Amino acid sequence: MIALSPRAKAAWQRCLASPRVVAGAGLIVMLIVVAILAPWLAPHDPQEQELLSILLPPFWMPDADPAYPLGTDTLGRCILSRLIYGTRIALYVAGLAASGAMLVGTVLAIVAGYFGGKIDWLISRAVDIWMAFPPVVLALILLVGLGAGVNKVILAIVLIDWTRFCRVIRSEVLVTMTLDYIPAARILGFSHSQIMLKEILPAVTPLIITVLSIEMGIAVIVEAIMSFVGMSVESNVAAWGVMIADARTTMHQSPLSVVFPIAAIFLTVLAFNLLGDGLRRALDGRLVQRNG
Amino acid sequence: MAFLALQLLIKRAFLAVPILLCVSALVFLILRLLPADPIAMSVPPGATQADYDMLRISFGLDRSLPEQYLIWLGKLLHGDFGGSIFFRRPVMELISKALPATLELVSFGFMLGVVIGIAGGLGMFMLRGRWGEQVLDGSTTVMMAIPEFLWAILLILFLGVLVPVFPFIGRLAPDLTLPPAATGFLLVDAALSLRFDLLMSVLAHMALPALALAIGIAPLLMRVLRSSLLETIHEDYVTQARLRGTSETRIVIRHAFPNAALPTLSLIGVQGGFMFGGTVLVEMIFAYPGLGNLMIDAVRNHDLPVIQAVALIYCILVLGINAVVDVIYLAVNPRLRLKGRAA
Amino acid sequence: MVLQARNLTVSLQSKDGRIDVLRDVSFDLAPGKVLGLVGESGAGKSMIGRVVSRNLPKNFSVTHGSLTFAGHDVIHGSDAMLAGLLGDRISFVPQEPLTALNPLMTIAQQFGEHLDRIGIRRAHQHAQMVKALEDVRLLDPKRVLSSYPFQLSGGMCQRVLIAMAFVSQPALVVADEPTTALDVSTQATIVQIMRRLQQDHDTALLFITHDLRLAAHVCDDILVLYAGEVVERGPARAISGDPQHPYTRALQAANPSLDGPLTRLPSLPDNMPGIAGFSALKGCRFGPRCPVADQACVGAVPQLRETSPGHWVRCSPACQHGKPVAAPVIEHRADDLSGEVILQASGLSKYFEPPRNWLGRREGPGLHAVRPMDLCVRAGEFVGIVGESGSGKSTLARLLMGLETPTTGQISLDGRDISVSNPQTKQLRLDTLQMVFQDPQSALNPRRSVEELVTQVMESHIKAVTPEARRIRAQDLLRETGLSPELLHRYPSQLSGGQKQRVNIARALCVTPRLLIADEIVSGLDVSVQAQILNLLLDLKARRQIGLVFISHDLSVVRYLCSSMIVMRHGKVVEQGPTEQVFSNPQHAYTKALFAAAPPADLESLWPPEQTSLS
Repeated sequence: MIALSPRAKAAWQRCLASPRVVAGAGLIVMLIVVAILAPWLAPHDPQEQELLSILLPPFWMPDADPAYPLGTDTLGRCILSRLIYGTRIALYVAGLAASGAMLVGTVLAIVAGYFGGKIDWLISRAVDIWMAFPPVVLALILLVGLGAGVNKVILAIVLIDWTRFCRVIRSEVLVTMTLDYIPAARILGFSHSQIMLKEILPAVTPLIITVLSIEMGIAVIVEAIMSFVGMSVESNVAAWGVMIADARTTMHQSPLSVVFPIAAIFLTVLAFNLLGDGLRRALDGRLVQRNG
Repeated sequence: MAFLALQLLIKRAFLAVPILLCVSALVFLILRLLPADPIAMSVPPGATQADYDMLRISFGLDRSLPEQYLIWLGKLLHGDFGGSIFFRRPVMELISKALPATLELVSFGFMLGVVIGIAGGLGMFMLRGRWGEQVLDGSTTVMMAIPEFLWAILLILFLGVLVPVFPFIGRLAPDLTLPPAATGFLLVDAALSLRFDLLMSVLAHMALPALALAIGIAPLLMRVLRSSLLETIHEDYVTQARLRGTSETRIVIRHAFPNAALPTLSLIGVQGGFMFGGTVLVEMIFAYPGLGNLMIDAVRNHDLPVIQAVALIYCILVLGINAVVDVIYLAVNPRLRLKGRAA
Repeated sequence: MVLQARNLTVSLQSKDGRIDVLRDVSFDLAPGKVLGLVGESGAGKSMIGRVVSRNLPKNFSVTHGSLTFAGHDVIHGSDAMLAGLLGDRISFVPQEPLTALNPLMTIAQQFGEHLDRIGIRRAHQHAQMVKALEDVRLLDPKRVLSSYPFQLSGGMCQRVLIAMAFVSQPALVVADEPTTALDVSTQATIVQIMRRLQQDHDTALLFITHDLRLAAHVCDDILVLYAGEVVERGPARAISGDPQHPYTRALQAANPSLDGPLTRLPSLPDNMPGIAGFSALKGCRFGPRCPVADQACVGAVPQLRETSPGHWVRCSPACQHGKPVAAPVIEHRADDLSGEVILQASGLSKYFEPPRNWLGRREGPGLHAVRPMDLCVRAGEFVGIVGESGSGKSTLARLLMGLETPTTGQISLDGRDISVSNPQTKQLRLDTLQMVFQDPQSALNPRRSVEELVTQVMESHIKAVTPEARRIRAQDLLRETGLSPELLHRYPSQLSGGQKQRVNIARALCVTPRLLIADEIVSGLDVSVQAQILNLLLDLKARRQIGLVFISHDLSVVRYLCSSMIVMRHGKVVEQGPTEQVFSNPQHAYTKALFAAAPPADLESLWPPEQTSLS
């Protein structure tokens, strides 16, 4: 166990005391467990079609089949099992895409904010160009260019959302640059890379974690959108977006089957948003000072 | 003031040109990465190699990339977006039909979102420390955890299917006919031709998609306005006004709100840009014949000329809304206004 | 009486119980009189103003005693009654004038709103505003009225706020550190204007300040606060001329004088504890720092007793206060100017290009932050650089440290030119020259422990340094700067202001530099802590023959430390020479005006002088 600075310790305690952080992190842990244990939790194979029992209602309705707790879809597939397996895709995309965007965005943000001048100008103009696209439009174009597929979706999210990290973290780097401990480090003979890694990165880390959490929620949404329009996974794979697209066509016959995948997305995004929001409140030095 | 606003708009237009050039080049480049062949998809079965080659040449796909780009750009300057591979019609024609529909929807949704956002933000601020604030705060959390395309589906489910209050397909009831002198903006057309039935039908058709879009921007506005109000209320000038015995209502109206509105205003610009992105799926879900629907159709059919053109139009719209918000910002912020005059 | 306090006690309700942040305060303020509340930050001097305006921070409340304004009970009266008084019969002058005005409203709009509030008809408002602004000696009232706050200087904003405060001819004006945020030269004018208005309207003035010398000139009566308690109270003349309480004495002695022989400043140990530490202070709250405290002081809280008519002091009657020992006279003048030259700068200047607009055109003129100047520092020489904000003194420091590239001129260290940047010159600069930044809060990375901070320079070495070597070096440095080795594993947030500044200095000493650049390093500190730091610098000079470029706006501090000085204004050197010579016979009009603006120790001399306009 590394000895924590009192600042880190206090931040950690504030995190533990925040109901948002606890609830968000708890939900995320639960989702991860569900994703890992999917083969044991799911009552059926998510692809298994039972054409004799299509569009069954969930268990509390009349005519329900207890073997399919949340009912079945048009092809007689178990909705609960598909929901459970859908968690895997959602979390896979959330984890990889958000981390990739974070890496690209943070590096560029620190370099831009630290060196300023032409480098900053160039990176900021790139962000401007990216910001001129509505993100969904850029995602669609990228997927037309790259071809459909879940890994392509991840790549597309990284290529689009690095700007979110870049913008937010660059301005935080600029705030840090106004503090005297940066010129002080230069006077003490620190090299540029030492200053960036040892002085600036730790100062912006809380913000990075916060944005990362929010970005994971966004990645879940983007993946859902792309599977919804058929640009992500194959159309028979159990992904929440695919389920929504399927269920939309039978909204009149079984209105609830569209609600379940939406609820799953809602819960996941809510978890990441709560965690991010809670972390922001717990870690933002300025907010803490104002309230304390 | 008017002069400054004009100056700013000209400046923005100037700065938009290089951005749009980069954007178009980027779009062009990405689309040429395409593994699938759009021509192969659109030739009728049984076509010969010669037919295929002829199509390729007619869309200019046999030339080198830079050449293709320059030709496309050159035509663009003459207002020619080329022809759609899938629809077999000029892209310009498709866009001129879809654009008014999208603009109408976005304006409606935008206004709805801003009104909800500002009212909600003020409400949260006024109710601070009471349970009403918690309720509103909780509602923003819920609104933010569901993206607008899912709101669209939920709204259809609850207000279209389960309790059929609003129509949810297209722009107007199929049995209504359009008036002859059409601007494409149906609300304007209906108002000009005094067709009350048409007006109501258009509004009813826009209600759900606009609400879905509004829910997409309102919660963030609410939160930012609330937190900037909480911040400004602790500023020295508010304390000082209070020490002069100024009434609390006056403090909120004259001191806190105008200062708190500034960050909210710049957020509105960003959110307005995002809203255009939101229309893509919302339009598709409501079968609303706008740019978004066109985009989805083009994407599904790899209709490159249409994708390129629609993407560019979206970027122009985003830059445009940013410029408009900038002008408003300039108008309400004396610091910027006076700096502009000095220069 | 306009304002009358009887045994007023304000407490903070915390989870550890009740802490009295202001205890048992009584005073009378008569019409036309000025009462000064003097104390260091955290002494509770702002609390009374906040009680009057019902603006106490969260969890603070009045727990005992009374406060009445012209017979109205301020503590228990209705909100409506109080709201009626505020802005009309009672008004306030703030500490930070620039942020106390709404940035989106013109002065006329804000002033007009206030005139509406006090019931002046719209038709008469303009004339009244113009007159009020003329009364505070704003030369062009019409232009000021149509301006936004950001178009005015801090001094002008403060005058507007003073005009607004006095326009209703209130019975009481509360001014909380009204000159602290302003330049020295503005201070005298602001004080003068407030006194004039206060006398003309027979207004009572509650003047809150940390500066005992300033209070002595401005006020009729003074209340000295320490850790929430009145330690001494009486006529300004008596308090300043014959301070009775050991704390008041220390406060007065801690300010170096502007004339007469210089003696080493007596300094109190440690610093005043924060509010959370108040409850640990048993008996006399000043006891732990008192140079003459004995067993009796720990037992019971001493009561205020009258030593001469109207002069009260809270100290045990047994205490003899032992007259302060005559401090050694400072003799740092003679051989200072004979050491070898360490730093030589010639023709040094810095010009900042104006920002360019989107067409690439320059927007406005650039800024000549430093105009060509020469500077020479010898081993063991302390050079003071004096100037107000915008004088270019901080840019000069950054130029010397290589944080800015000079536009013209060259700098040499030990006779070697370091204007060109290469690894050798970088190493030379690193080994010879170090800088102490103004604000330790900002200069110390909050994520590093004291040990890491003071030995931070060792991380930049190419050769790896063992943790033991670092620890030993850190312990040495803490000892050298008078810090306890226990602090090694603390973090900046756990240190007091004075301790942070010592860590800041210790860090600069790690490379054993021969020259330090110090930019306003005592300006954020309370006077008693300031004296500790100044003495530390003198000790370093005696021990190490270290040279110092000491940048400050405070003339008395420069006189105390430095053997030669430079006066800068708008980037230009206006006067340069041995300190004693500049002080005894200033040549430039600006230097003379600066001297006139500082309140002298001698209460007999008229201050502020009638004419102190610098602009």
